[in-house]
Amino acid sequence: MTVEGTVLPIPRANIDTDQIIPAHYLTRIDADGMGEHLFEGMPDGADLLARHPGATVIVTGENFGCGSSREHAAWALLGRGFRAVIAPSFARIFHENAYNNGVVPVILPQETVDELMQARTISIDVAGETLRADGGEPISFALDPLRKQFVLGGGFLKYLDAKIPTVRAWEAAR
Amino acid sequence: MKRSLFDKIWDAHVVEELPGGNALVFMDLVVAHEITTPPGAIAIEKEFGDKLYEPDRIVAMIDHVAPAKDAATALQAQTVRTWAKRQGIRFHDIGNNGICHVLVPERGYVTPGMSVCCGDSHTCTLGALGAFALGIGTTAQAGAMLAGCLILQRPKVMRIEITGELPPDATAKDLTLSVIATIGFRGGTGYVLEYTGSAVRALNMEQRMTLCNMAIEAGATTGIIAADATTAAYLAATPAAPTGWTPLQADGDAEYAATVTIDGSAIRPVVSWGTNPGENSPVDGTVPFDAPAESLAYMDLRPGQTLRSIAIDQAFIGSCTNSRIGDLRAAAAVLRGQQVSVPTIITPGSQAVRRQAEREGLHDIFQDAGALWTHSSCGPCLGMSMGVLAAGTRCVSSSNRNFPGRMGDGGRVHLAAPAVVAASAILGRIASPAEIVQREVVLA
Repeated sequence: MTVEGTVLPIPRANIDTDQIIPAHYLTRIDADGMGEHLFEGMPDGADLLARHPGATVIVTGENFGCGSSREHAAWALLGRGFRAVIAPSFARIFHENAYNNGVVPVILPQETVDELMQARTISIDVAGETLRADGGEPISFALDPLRKQFVLGGGFLKYLDAKIPTVRAWEAAR
Repeated sequence: MKRSLFDKIWDAHVVEELPGGNALVFMDLVVAHEITTPPGAIAIEKEFGDKLYEPDRIVAMIDHVAPAKDAATALQAQTVRTWAKRQGIRFHDIGNNGICHVLVPERGYVTPGMSVCCGDSHTCTLGALGAFALGIGTTAQAGAMLAGCLILQRPKVMRIEITGELPPDATAKDLTLSVIATIGFRGGTGYVLEYTGSAVRALNMEQRMTLCNMAIEAGATTGIIAADATTAAYLAATPAAPTGWTPLQADGDAEYAATVTIDGSAIRPVVSWGTNPGENSPVDGTVPFDAPAESLAYMDLRPGQTLRSIAIDQAFIGSCTNSRIGDLRAAAAVLRGQQVSVPTIITPGSQAVRRQAEREGLHDIFQDAGALWTHSSCGPCLGMSMGVLAAGTRCVSSSNRNFPGRMGDGGRVHLAAPAVVAASAILGRIASPAEIVQREVVLA
């Protein structure tokens, strides 16, 4: 699977999920309708999106997705066409939510992220765990080997469903 | 190998080691509410024949928007309501409800050594009971309801020892904000914070919940405090009065990935001035000169500004951090016989807390002071209902997040303990409770 497209740089750390999708939009019983409200909680969110129309890869600072557990943050990114976030680190809950929804969470050192902020386009070979910025040299990154399958093809719940007999046996012997 | 408290609980819940350092971790309890549960419950219904691992291991409630504020939130509530009824899940509907992190412990649903998850980041609150409790996303929660397990990377453990004893005017809120300021807003990422030390053991259960509640605000997976006689007495007094649990302790010479020691006697009442909870300073102090310009621009503050000079537009006492009976008593002690000068909303953490407060006459104190006394809800903490801020307005709040827009687009939030919020509500600016006492002396 390849994720490629233009870059939306957000050169700040600590983008929290309230900024990604404000709580007053968390009123649905499905994952739809979030994309149009992406970054509405971010003071300069509308301006950033307007300056980078059609971007599909976010490059940002440390601790992206901190705060609320709302999976709506991943749904809002997907709904707006974003397929990957590149950052030096992610908050734990968002990190898992990204994997479970096919938003590729790429962790790279701050210096590399700083360079990628300048890129116009980025192409990510998800299976191969490499990316290229503006056709340059490949840069390697590492995904969680288990969760990689969920980001590539979904199936998190099916994976757990198949574990039920194991879980029941464990619980019986507990 | 000598183990931490967290290690012992983790080891007792690992069903299977998985590739990449992951583990299949059994969840003794899944807590469900109307905002994050419906999509997962519906996915299980559609894709897995409505099959749950064990409905008895789930407890559900309406908490965030209670009662519904519009047709959309009514559908969220109704989805959880009908799902809980269909599945035979314990359910706390409006009238008998509360914020999940207040209701679940007060009913006695969590005991030491348990594992608990919820689609809500402040689930770490329940670590106060000596449980491993963590917030997760909707899909992960669905997995826990379907298969009884989460997939997790084993977190490291940071031992945080609070020595000595807190000064009389310092609260668990001041302590937890100070811990975040010490280790950093993301300093706990990848860790469980294991709180210990004399100042922690001296806290009652509600105060321990306030301390653990904000572990997530340091990025931590959760916080945890070993069960002791305080825990046992608290649990014995709950409606469920659970028995049969075993108190776990860290081994005396357990090894920790990180250790932090904080002098409890140096903790001061604090208030946040920035846009994350780690950006806080003593109430009697000033905005630091090295404060990030971006935070100050959003908050419309300048370096060196006296915190007690900052005028406010609203005050809020509530949220899963500070809405329990002890918090309300602390607010009432300041508000008794006083008048608030800005709109002030006081929201109990559960209907049980509300009833207890009314038995004690606290609701009269609040309403005599001109505050709005509400039923239980998450309320304005997350900007969903019951007191959302207007853009450009400033609120002193006993809640947990001061992110841009958290309590309403463009709203500004200062986090503090309930007594500081109450004093600020009276004076219309950030204020110390001592100022109210001093004012009374002068007036007398």
